[in-house]
Amino acid sequence: MLLLSSSGVFAKVKQFSLSNGMKVVVIENDRAPVIAQMIWYNFGSNVEQKGKSGLAHFMEHLMFKGTKKHPDNYYSNFISKIGGSENAFTSYDYTAYYQIYPSEHFEKIIELEADRMKNLTLTKKNVEIEKNVILEERFQRIESDPSSLLDESMRSILYPNHPYGRPIIGWKHEIVELNYDDIKSFYKTHYEPRNAILVISGNVNLKKAKEIVKKNFSKIKNVSTSEFKETLDPDLNSQVFVEKKHPTVKQDIWKKLYRADSYNKSIKRGIALDLGMKIIAGGTSSLLYDEFVNRKKIFSMVGGFYQGLSRGEGYVYFYAIPNEKIEPKKIDNLIMDQIKILVKNELSSERLETEKKKYLYDSIYRMDGILKPSEIYGEALTVGLKLSDIENWNKNLDDVTLELVKEEMFKFIENKNYVIGSLQN
Amino acid sequence: MKVSIYILSILLLLFQETKSIDFSELKTKNTSFWFVKDNSIPIISLSFSLRGGSSQDPDGKEGLTYLMTSTMDEGTSKFSGSQLRKFKKLNGIKLNISTQKNKIEGSFQVISSQVDQGFELLDQVLNFPKFDKSDLEKVLKQIEASLKIDQSDLSTLSNDKFNDIFFKKNNFSKRIKGTKKTLNNITKDDLIKHHKNSFNSKELYIGVSGDISEQSIKKNIEKVFGKFSIENVSPSFEKFADLPKGQKVIQLETPQSSVVFGHPGLSRSDKDYFSFRLANYIIGGGGFQSRLYKEIREKRGLVYSIYSYPISYKHDGFIMGGFQTRNKSVFETVNRVKEEWSKISKRGITKKELDEAKAYYKGSFTRNFTSTVSIAKLLNIVQFYDLGKNYFSERDKIIGNLKLDYINNMIKNKFNSDNLFFLIVGSPEKQR
Repeated sequence: MLLLSSSGVFAKVKQFSLSNGMKVVVIENDRAPVIAQMIWYNFGSNVEQKGKSGLAHFMEHLMFKGTKKHPDNYYSNFISKIGGSENAFTSYDYTAYYQIYPSEHFEKIIELEADRMKNLTLTKKNVEIEKNVILEERFQRIESDPSSLLDESMRSILYPNHPYGRPIIGWKHEIVELNYDDIKSFYKTHYEPRNAILVISGNVNLKKAKEIVKKNFSKIKNVSTSEFKETLDPDLNSQVFVEKKHPTVKQDIWKKLYRADSYNKSIKRGIALDLGMKIIAGGTSSLLYDEFVNRKKIFSMVGGFYQGLSRGEGYVYFYAIPNEKIEPKKIDNLIMDQIKILVKNELSSERLETEKKKYLYDSIYRMDGILKPSEIYGEALTVGLKLSDIENWNKNLDDVTLELVKEEMFKFIENKNYVIGSLQN
Repeated sequence: MKVSIYILSILLLLFQETKSIDFSELKTKNTSFWFVKDNSIPIISLSFSLRGGSSQDPDGKEGLTYLMTSTMDEGTSKFSGSQLRKFKKLNGIKLNISTQKNKIEGSFQVISSQVDQGFELLDQVLNFPKFDKSDLEKVLKQIEASLKIDQSDLSTLSNDKFNDIFFKKNNFSKRIKGTKKTLNNITKDDLIKHHKNSFNSKELYIGVSGDISEQSIKKNIEKVFGKFSIENVSPSFEKFADLPKGQKVIQLETPQSSVVFGHPGLSRSDKDYFSFRLANYIIGGGGFQSRLYKEIREKRGLVYSIYSYPISYKHDGFIMGGFQTRNKSVFETVNRVKEEWSKISKRGITKKELDEAKAYYKGSFTRNFTSTVSIAKLLNIVQFYDLGKNYFSERDKIIGNLKLDYINNMIKNKFNSDNLFFLIVGSPEKQR
């Protein structure tokens, strides 16, 4: 949801780069002899050509299929044998692979990760079988779930031009058409050291990390020069309500999705919006929850949040679960009218200070463990923030004034780039 | 995401391997607890469990324990619900009380500079919940909404149906959240009484890790848990008798069917517990290595995820597994699961598979030591299942000593494809 900031206090974070452009972040933490390693590639479904949706995610699945030197599932098998765990995920802006494993195997895992950046030996058969797996995944995650289908429609309207409007997993009709050549060319063009950020967290020191990482990764050469350009979306000129009716739905759910500036535009303003949203709509202690769930008893749940960690625009998400059937438009009016009143009358320095305190406490909790810190650094860096941005996060937090929070919230109220969705029986 | 179910298996009672951990056993008047001091981060993490859980809910009042644990932090003798929520924020307190079939489990964390406030809140929530009528109404509405959402989620729906059929008359068939009807039978008095009975120090287990002195943690544990009743309670658990076999289809219009399967298992105290775990790891366990994963996903692309895991309680256990697949491939996949089951039962596992499984279990244990939360939880669980103070040093040996012939013999006796039960929710296409 947001960043951590206390890094300097509890862990030493260092960064270096290789001559091929790959960046490396080391977060030393010797509590247990374990390492959490993540490699973040700074592309996701956003770099797919039109008509090829799902390609980045497809490629992620295939990254587990083996190289000449380490064929088939050698890598996964090795991870299991040493008691490690691994997984991967694809998002709009990034694709990441991680392993958590006993630190004595650091060198070997680095070797394996470096090997698969360029040396996969894919076959047509691999591609065809995995396509079925991905179609099953789409059925499981999206097509069997009306709520996910609704989200998919809402996004496609909210982002009419940007790749954020396409589902990460891909449209079914396009997944079916993806082929071996698409995969090969995607792999070659994008899996490059210049696009990678390696984050190593846990029982490792900088010197050793440098030595091993350089040995394995610096020989990898970039072969393409493709550059990614952000496309922009136009302002939405009409109000859109999306309605999804489905016989299996038993509980109405109301949702609203906005485009909003990301942290890349301004970290301070992003934090201000985040804090404002938390006061108004964050969790069960929010003002909206208090009004509609505790007092008026119209909804059983209501809430919302800001997500500003993205290369393109960020977003704000709201949802409500009504106790009785209410028209989606009416729900929207109820919530928006209330937000206007709350922003005007209830945003106070006291509430802001409480929220800032919570923000700092959360940043401490995020350092308990080794995977979370590498997630935070990896995500922030791949969407375009700098290490110094993370280190100065606290300072920005301190500088956020009540006036700025109000300004951002008023801006939000005026924001017309949204879509409203309703899930019904 | 490649395999989402992996997370699930970690949530279960899966202890991985054994490296030693330095803890002290501390005693207070009514209870004792295990503690690891760790000042590498200014946090205190506490984990506790109370044996009992939703299986103990009275007939007709299913959902009682869940409703109770969901309402406890909605208001106490000293704080209103909104005061509680504000107090948590101001002091960096996290508290979650959850209901499981066999226990109530609590997770509590506080920033170490706010330790007194933290334990004051914990004391209030655990010992002085109010169960006010308006709070109850609110929570009931929330549970009812979540029940309705569950019904439209294919995976939850199939798990619920499996639960009803698989456990039949055993008290484990009681659904954790109950139903709208049973929830409406519950009164405020039921909750007050149930609270008194449940928060009892006889079946209480506590683990703590973090930045606090022995003296201070003892004082705080005494303050909170010393107030629990000391009357004898004896939750009742029956063995899983007459588990169903074969398959049952529940028709539903969906593009994919969801299949949940079950098979008899072992209790946590069974001498073959680890052999059984290793065998399951090989057939359907975590990572991308199991036979089910390789045969059904990797070679044939029939599913996105497929898994099985043993669930071992103190009194008995079972294996549970699942997958989702397109309607046309449901029976093919069911048959492949059966095939793998009879293959392992007839031919056993190989030396290589055993060695790799042992290595996995040995290597993965240290992952539990990477955060104060996971350490506290581990300390709690080891006590809950009565695994002994030397568990941390013994575990590697127990696993290391398991012999191939012995395990294969156990598999022959305990894994039987005829004992599998498949619950299918969807519109599976008939075979042939």
